[in-house]
Amino acid sequence: MDDSGRRRQQWRNHPSSSLTGPTRSRSQKLSSNPAKTTHSSNFIPRSTTTTGTTPDNTKNPGYVPKWKSETNANKQQEVEKEAGDDVGSIVGTCLFMCPEGERAQRERQRDLAVFERLNGDPRKTSPALAVKKFCRTISLKYVQASDVRPLSVLEDTLNYLLNLLDSSEHPFEVVHDFIFDRTRSIRQDLSMQNIVNDRAIHMYEKMVKFHVVSHHRLQNCGSSSMSSLQYLNMEQLTKTLASLYILYEANRSSNSIYENEAEFRSLYVLLHLDSKRQQTEESLSFWFCRVPPIVMKSKEMHFARQVLRFYRMGNYRSFLCTVSAEASYLQYCVIEPYVNEIRALAVSYINNCCYKFHPYPLEQLSKLLMMKESDAESFCHACSLETLTDDGGNKLLPTKQTTFSIPKGSFQSYSLLGLQQ
Amino acid sequence: MGEAHRRITDYLNKFSDAVSYQDVASLAQLFSFSSNSPSLLSLADALNYFQDANRLIKQSDKFSQFGEILAPIFRSLQSYRLGNLVDSYHAFEKFANAFIQEFRNWESAWALEALYVIAYEIRVLAERADRELASNGKSPEKLKGAGSFLMKVFGVLAGKGPKRVGALYVTCQLFKIYFKLGTVHLCRSVIRSIETARIFDFEEFPRRDKVTYMYYTGRLEVFNENFPAAEHKLSYALTHCNPLREANIRMILKYLIPVKLSLGILPKAWLLEKYNLLEYSNVVQALKRGDLRLLRHALQEHEDQFLRSGVYLVLEKLELQVYQRLVKKIYFIQKQKDPSKAHQLKLDVIVKALKWLEMDMDLDEVECIMTILIYKNLVKGYFAHKSKVVVLSKQDPFPKLNGKPVNS
Repeated sequence: MDDSGRRRQQWRNHPSSSLTGPTRSRSQKLSSNPAKTTHSSNFIPRSTTTTGTTPDNTKNPGYVPKWKSETNANKQQEVEKEAGDDVGSIVGTCLFMCPEGERAQRERQRDLAVFERLNGDPRKTSPALAVKKFCRTISLKYVQASDVRPLSVLEDTLNYLLNLLDSSEHPFEVVHDFIFDRTRSIRQDLSMQNIVNDRAIHMYEKMVKFHVVSHHRLQNCGSSSMSSLQYLNMEQLTKTLASLYILYEANRSSNSIYENEAEFRSLYVLLHLDSKRQQTEESLSFWFCRVPPIVMKSKEMHFARQVLRFYRMGNYRSFLCTVSAEASYLQYCVIEPYVNEIRALAVSYINNCCYKFHPYPLEQLSKLLMMKESDAESFCHACSLETLTDDGGNKLLPTKQTTFSIPKGSFQSYSLLGLQQ
Repeated sequence: MGEAHRRITDYLNKFSDAVSYQDVASLAQLFSFSSNSPSLLSLADALNYFQDANRLIKQSDKFSQFGEILAPIFRSLQSYRLGNLVDSYHAFEKFANAFIQEFRNWESAWALEALYVIAYEIRVLAERADRELASNGKSPEKLKGAGSFLMKVFGVLAGKGPKRVGALYVTCQLFKIYFKLGTVHLCRSVIRSIETARIFDFEEFPRRDKVTYMYYTGRLEVFNENFPAAEHKLSYALTHCNPLREANIRMILKYLIPVKLSLGILPKAWLLEKYNLLEYSNVVQALKRGDLRLLRHALQEHEDQFLRSGVYLVLEKLELQVYQRLVKKIYFIQKQKDPSKAHQLKLDVIVKALKWLEMDMDLDEVECIMTILIYKNLVKGYFAHKSKVVVLSKQDPFPKLNGKPVNS
């Protein structure tokens, strides 16, 4: 199984790379014929683990990419940016989803993800299956144009990857992990080539969508390893979204807005509903300062701001109504975690404020919380509140109970009634 | 050729004399690009024409000892004049770094004012460079770089000696950068240094810097919705601000007013008029009258302005207080009609009142609002669901905020 680059890798080093075209140093006898299959590749790695002859030419001893820990996010951001810096940009010439050299090397190292294996063989892949991995410490100086995929190849690669989401052969986490890594590499290639046009925008939108849907699906997977996947996914979601916004701005002509821009901007608001949680990022108040007015006036932003207002006020009724009536699929994926949170809020308010001698009918409660009545009942129990049944068979929530508490883990998933999807 | 040569040598002499005689005023003028002073501009022209200033620098020990400082500032000025702001910024940063190295060696704090000028100029130049980058579709990160540089300067000043009083000015420049970039979380570390390091005594800093500092930290508290802290800081800025600086007072009030409103404190009309903050008039009226429609209207009317200054979300939150006021008015009207029943508010009546204000809300939503008001202690009482009545407490049913924010 793919271990997402936790192993040390050695890439070949070409100190004399000119940035505008492929260079060939003496060691590399890489064939430029794309029709060649892997086992006839002439690539000779500088790896000390192979028994092949090590080339005698210019060795660059310094450059060995190391896989750093994820907490080094800042440095990594610098690095990824470095790749697209005004050092000059590369024009990629790799016509495969994965550069041939990497493909051969990973075959040898048995570093192939399940999706890349030819007939399940961990030692064999093919140009149709191998996809370039994300490499954390790529610096523009050491990159070969033949390792970088041009825009049309990147587009095809992205579509190929996203189609894998439909497969049900593997658990979602596995699919997610693979696409997560490989789309990161796509973004890296885009940034190295300084591709900032419309087509890049469409690609970034697709990638944000992937992360948003993953955010939603990983919530419902439920296993304990989820939280680190969720955290990492959120990290990339935020980054990709930020890059997308920069692209929108860079491409803005006159007072226009991209077709999907309003929706993608609204996602930022919805990701930051809770002001307490995001202390490390800029507050929404700041963010709003810099959104173009035409975006602010869009229906999607209007929706997001309404949801924000309801959330922050604690207006559970309007929050749930508005979300179920107007949220798009993507918006709902982002909002979903807050739905149960605000339901809990509603229950605690009602428990706190209502007349002790008028227990609250669950039928009404479930209408307010937009849940099935049976779900509402189990929800109350999850909040450590008792319910009872009266003589007429109606279920009630006695109020002024002192036992209310938010459950330690997360709530189970309940459907949101009336959700238009 | 001779004229160009003269101008350049002139500058070099001014520089070395300023350093020899510790004449900070003259020194500072030499770096102040943004002033676009005729002497700097004509020097820039001379440099672009002469093209070999380095030779002049090397000609005399008096100048060559400052070669690391002078060469880059010449390059920066040249690029500046030609409108190549990214190049100008790069060279300016080199100059600034070299200057700091020299500055470190000077024992006394005589050159602080010059350092202030450099801190200001590097920020402004970085902003312009970023605009140039953005217009070319590139990623703007010079301002971020200027921020890193100023952090370094901060470190140089944060010591026991007399230079430490300069730290607050640099901090304020950093604030401006972080606010502009939206990376305000980076303010935290400098704030921590200023507020907790023992070498700093806040009162020692120049008044102007203290006011600016409190203004920005106050604004941060506003954005984080810590209203008591925001009130404290912005009030400090207000009371210590030079009363003749009306523009600055206005800037402080622009943030202080929403904060005070959140704490239930309303400004007088004359204050809004005097400092031209009339965008808040309707908000204040809405709070006084419990007029939700007016609040929403006021927010919509000045939406762009409020969004840009970042107070929109704060003002939006005033809704709850407006609801409280509305319910209170209903209570008073009922009290006049029938004191014995006044403390029972039918939901129907509230719905009707809201309809009268052109706010169409159903029973469920009004019930929801009432539970929020009760939960957050804006209304004391309980809600009887069966009879759809809010029963108010006989004592103090509408607690005043008394300078405290609404409970979250």
